[in-house]
Amino acid sequence: MKLIEKTKIKGVLAEWSKDFNVLCPSLTPNGDCLFDDFDPQTFTLEYRKPSMPQKRSCFPQAEKIFDVREGSFVPAYNHKKTVLFGIRACDHMGLRQSKSFFTRDIVDPFFGCRSEDTVIVVHACSWPQNETCFCTTVHSGPYATADFDIQLFDMGTDFLVEAGSDKGRRMISSSPFRDFDVDDAQERLERVKHMAFNSIPIVEEVAEAMDILKAGGANETVWEHLGRKCIACGGCVYVCPTCTCFTIHDRVTSKDSGERVRTWDTCLFEGFTKEASGHNPRPTQALRLKRRHEHKLLHYNPVDIQTALSGCVGCGRCSDSCPVHIGTLEVVKAITDHIY
Amino acid sequence: MAGLAAAFGSGAMTNSIGEFEDADLFFVIGSNTTAQHPLIGTRIINAVERGAKLLLFDPREIQLAPFASLHLRQNFGTDVALVNGMMNIIIQEDLYDRPYVESRTEGFDELKALVSRYTPKVVEQITGVRSADLYRAAVMYAQADKAMIVYAMGITQHVTGTDNVKTLANLAMLTGHVGRHSTGVNPLRGQNNVQGACDMGGLPGVFTGYQRVNDPASVQKFEKAWETTGLNTKPGLTITGMVEAAHSGSLKALYVMGENPLLSDPDLTHAEHALGNLDFLVVQDIFLTETAALADVILPAACFAEKDGTYTNTERRVQLSRKAVEPPGQARADWEIVSELLSRLGCCGTYPDTESIMREINALTPSYAGITYRRLASGYGLQWPCPNEEHPGTVFLHRDQFTKGKGTFLPCEFRPPAEAPDEEFDLTLTTGRIYYQFHTGTMSRRIEILEREAPQPVLEINPEDAKRYGIRTNDLVEVESRRGSIRLKAEVTTRVPRKVLFTTFHFAESPVNRLTTSAFDPVSEIPELKGCAVKIRRCS
Repeated sequence: MKLIEKTKIKGVLAEWSKDFNVLCPSLTPNGDCLFDDFDPQTFTLEYRKPSMPQKRSCFPQAEKIFDVREGSFVPAYNHKKTVLFGIRACDHMGLRQSKSFFTRDIVDPFFGCRSEDTVIVVHACSWPQNETCFCTTVHSGPYATADFDIQLFDMGTDFLVEAGSDKGRRMISSSPFRDFDVDDAQERLERVKHMAFNSIPIVEEVAEAMDILKAGGANETVWEHLGRKCIACGGCVYVCPTCTCFTIHDRVTSKDSGERVRTWDTCLFEGFTKEASGHNPRPTQALRLKRRHEHKLLHYNPVDIQTALSGCVGCGRCSDSCPVHIGTLEVVKAITDHIY
Repeated sequence: MAGLAAAFGSGAMTNSIGEFEDADLFFVIGSNTTAQHPLIGTRIINAVERGAKLLLFDPREIQLAPFASLHLRQNFGTDVALVNGMMNIIIQEDLYDRPYVESRTEGFDELKALVSRYTPKVVEQITGVRSADLYRAAVMYAQADKAMIVYAMGITQHVTGTDNVKTLANLAMLTGHVGRHSTGVNPLRGQNNVQGACDMGGLPGVFTGYQRVNDPASVQKFEKAWETTGLNTKPGLTITGMVEAAHSGSLKALYVMGENPLLSDPDLTHAEHALGNLDFLVVQDIFLTETAALADVILPAACFAEKDGTYTNTERRVQLSRKAVEPPGQARADWEIVSELLSRLGCCGTYPDTESIMREINALTPSYAGITYRRLASGYGLQWPCPNEEHPGTVFLHRDQFTKGKGTFLPCEFRPPAEAPDEEFDLTLTTGRIYYQFHTGTMSRRIEILEREAPQPVLEINPEDAKRYGIRTNDLVEVESRRGSIRLKAEVTTRVPRKVLFTTFHFAESPVNRLTTSAFDPVSEIPELKGCAVKIRRCS
């Protein structure tokens, strides 16, 4: 186990930037936190839950798959060795689940090569980032338990640094990382973890709603009520760490060349399931919402969800961002409330 | 804008988006809010869920309809009669705000005299709204503590557009629902900067901040600032007027920026002829639009992400936007193009950057005087009026008195639409927009996922009418007006009432404005895009 003074982090990132593309929390002029390329001017450790998960480091919002130039095909693998610094445990679990989904049977070359070349530095949470955090309910946080390279625990002026892989161990082997050579190092770490875990309340309705869905589904009026007010903006999908649906477009760039691009898509759009005939197996917004939430809470692949409880990782961003309050937290409450 | 300016002295949304959270009642008329201003629509939905009431007047069953306490589907083009009828009930039942009317308004007696003729029975005959429903609506609006009127193009795109707005302003003043938090008359502007374009004098008769070009003091101020003399004091032409002038040959050259009249103007065949009649057409846009394809000179412009500048949104909020990427090819920011054009014409000096333009705006526009780049650089913008650098901006207008002093009741008589259905053209076609496409599709039709969601125009037709014409969903139909015809697919739906068809103007392949009438409101000169008489047949 190692320690590092928080004030030294900036120097470390500057050093890593020589070999890696370092993505880290940055403050915008308006005080929002975004994950962006390391810039000593905007880098910050004073951030709470970033408004977006960091899935785009492996799964960009739009990415070119191949070019066609003068009739010939040119694959477009466009990635750099990356350090993803400071991601939260929930988002890390989202990446683990997505990686499993993208590489389990057939390896998606784009997601696959990016995730292979990404060093993950988790910034464990000491307390809930806001009132919608429920990682402890779905076993995704507040700290990572596997598949990370480095994990940081807040100890006031220092970070306690845990290595999760050989790569991570090498990266923290020298100054300014220093040995944490006290006898009870492990106990102290466990204490920090324990306090963090207990600071985030369990949302009982999640497991309850999952049981109701497993037993045959929620009352249809729940979905109808939610479907009436959903404006189909797709925001909940774009901010979801485990939503990975995409669609493919071909774009003509000149007379004899073009490119194929894939972009994020959402099952909440009518056209997502619409068939060529015009028939739509999910014809209403109620059914589309039902599909999305059942995908998270019922129809997930048990292999993909890793050590978590569900395909939802409890980051709470859908509840934070939905303008009409149709996040996972509101949905599980509606399913279990029987008020409709 | 003209209607609100006449009644209150300021032609903008009186209140702010954040205030929707606290309103007790929304009177939504002529706005498909969730489709066109979705985040404002969601605030209405949330407010209804916490107990606010929604009074919805719309012939179509829009997404807000199930949330309405009362949804009235008035006959097309009868809003003045409807709202006059409400005011008559409010006065008869003594539900109006007497102290407010006496202390803050003028012209009440004239209003009372005029609306007294709009008895529930008369209104029912004109609007099709049952008198019991009208009564309920009037009482609900009058008795609400904080009631917001919300409208959009469904009010303004009529030959009586200005009258519609004046009548809504009358209603709000009569009940004291202006000048307080979560009240007011709130036109929702259609684009991110249409308020800004108006504020900056993008209208025929004004400089920035609505300072009139025929007001000697304003002229003198601008002449001094621009170190020139002899500024033209004659108001220019509206779009409608320009098309007419081009058609008759008195207008020779036209410079179009960021507008696509060959899809958005009414009576396209007429507009095409008018533009074809010009000696010289310049189009400045980010893509090659239908209009640009006809131009003698095309000036490629930078898009929002490729330039610095500010936008003024529907709630009068000015926000700073910074360049993120370089413009492609020869494209340049609009301000650079115009600035260089000015200097090549030998007018005024050039501007080095957008901040220097803002400084000129600050110096010459009282309502923008305190909205400087320095202040806009942090936070989320400032709302005008903001008369000095210490001023926090204005959340809602007309707090203690109206901009013009006393608010003026401007009673209007009902006038029928320009083109009522008759025996041959027996249906009313109304036009609008959908969620996934924007305007003439110049931008949105290039986005693959939006195009997947809404790839083609659809004509909404009521099941009863559809049955009469033997039309089923997905059938190709031909819609014909006195000016032209288009073909498109039908969707049979109760979303539209009987005898009314609805479609959108986004799609060049079925340009609905071939059908629309160029009859316009005499004051604002906004055309009656919301309705014309048509007939329909199924294509075999």
